Amino acid sequence: MTWIRICCALVLVPPALGASLKLEKTITVPPEAVVRFTAVSPKGDWVAGACQDGRVRLWSFPAGELRQVFDLEDQRVSRLRFSGDGALLAVGGDRGGIRIWNIPSGKLKLQFKVGEPVVAFAISPDRTLLAVARKDEPAQLWDLTTESRITDLPARFAGSLSLDFSPDGQWLALADADTEIRIYESRTGALRATSDDLLLETFAIAFSQDSRFVYAGGADKTVSLIAVAGGKLLRTFPRQTHAVSELKLSPDGKILLAIYFDEKGLANPAPVVVWNVAAGSVEAQVFEPEVTPNGGGFLGSGRVIVTSSAGPKLQVWSVR
Amino acid sequence: MMHRSPLSRREILGRCLGSLTILCSTSALRVAKAVALPQAQHRKPTPANEIGSFYKKRAPKAAMLRAPGDPGMPLTVRGQVFNTRGDAPANAGIEVWQADHLGRYDLDGYRYRAQLPVDPAGVYEFESVIPGHHPDRVCQHIHYLVLAPGHKPLVTQLYFATDPVFEGDPDHNFGRDPLIHSRELVRPVVLAGDPREMQALVHFDLVLELL
Repeated sequence: MTWIRICCALVLVPPALGASLKLEKTITVPPEAVVRFTAVSPKGDWVAGACQDGRVRLWSFPAGELRQVFDLEDQRVSRLRFSGDGALLAVGGDRGGIRIWNIPSGKLKLQFKVGEPVVAFAISPDRTLLAVARKDEPAQLWDLTTESRITDLPARFAGSLSLDFSPDGQWLALADADTEIRIYESRTGALRATSDDLLLETFAIAFSQDSRFVYAGGADKTVSLIAVAGGKLLRTFPRQTHAVSELKLSPDGKILLAIYFDEKGLANPAPVVVWNVAAGSVEAQVFEPEVTPNGGGFLGSGRVIVTSSAGPKLQVWSVR
Repeated sequence: MMHRSPLSRREILGRCLGSLTILCSTSALRVAKAVALPQAQHRKPTPANEIGSFYKKRAPKAAMLRAPGDPGMPLTVRGQVFNTRGDAPANAGIEVWQADHLGRYDLDGYRYRAQLPVDPAGVYEFESVIPGHHPDRVCQHIHYLVLAPGHKPLVTQLYFATDPVFEGDPDHNFGRDPLIHSRELVRPVVLAGDPREMQALVHFDLVLELL
């Protein structure tokens, strides 16, 4: 009987159950500026927050000092993203505006409009290209050096939900609302591969460190591995209980941070899972009933951090 | 604190007439269908509405979305696909997906998801239930994807004039859902049948733009 109990416990208790969140920093914001969502710089030294008052605030981390306040004037911020080297912060708005600031100087580098609400964007590793997913319209590829549009990147219908450039700068991957993942040549926007294996929408994608694979996560509650060459679905990580909203690959390429959301209510708490990408296994899984993750990333040491908001407080947690 | 004065019976009836018609006759279905007869005329394209989350491809071909015993108000939606010239596009396809009566989407299977049969005249019809309110949306809605060769894909949503959010006045209150940009997508609801077994009927034509 005792052996049965032990065996049952081994089956029911995954090794990652001991993972927990440790509060690293609490940043107080004005009551009207509750942080809706964040972006963490690639080295984890900056946290940018899209606030209820329409502004974007930039804090140093781990100090938590407010260093810049940006705004899109007449637009509600819909997306934030740092460039791969952390030197730029791009902000997109719900009326199609995009502004890019130098970090940490806060000097405005570029601003333009893409005509529709910005759903997602990415800056190429060499900082010369910008890909923008627009609400229900084809994504666009822009040349940042000439501030001109190179081409549109249409899906079968509607628009795109997530996108990313490969670390080597050669490829651009789009997760489209028609549920397909399309791989383009970055420079030209020429379509090179399409993956049509996923049935539900993909909300987050990230390239592997060697630029050969794309991780895709979304409404099917899984993370899938797709080959850039040919677009074939190679592997699916074990299915979780919630839909995936965000994927971030660690600087060493070994760990994939997946932030989930509750499809029955975006404000509900949701888990964070740290995946070992080589094994396709869960390295750590955290579900805190009081925490609704609204962003995350990695520190220089490789430690995982997650942000959440509790009223006028932005909390930054590390995953232990 | 201000209190709203209760509506008189006359006011309630007046508001309901704008959004809801009650037909206690079994011939209501036939009447509604007759009203829906196509007329060749130039038409305004159906307003697009965002695709939202939870589209799932390869839905089964079906016109019956509800299963026997499913809770919720039974619903029949019918209409016709046109293009802006007033013609029925050849080989039109319609996909619909919606939440169940409690506002939950089926991500694991294909409940309340279907590719609808469309006849050569563009007529479609399906049976479902009035969807519940999804926690992250204001109004009850059904998603539509309409594709036809030579036409611009149409992604839109159907809303119900009887949605309690509108408080009987969709003309003024449709903007309570920030995703509803067009009053046209809020459709009248006809209640038909025996009062103990009411059935909701909605007519929703779809007009595609030519490429």
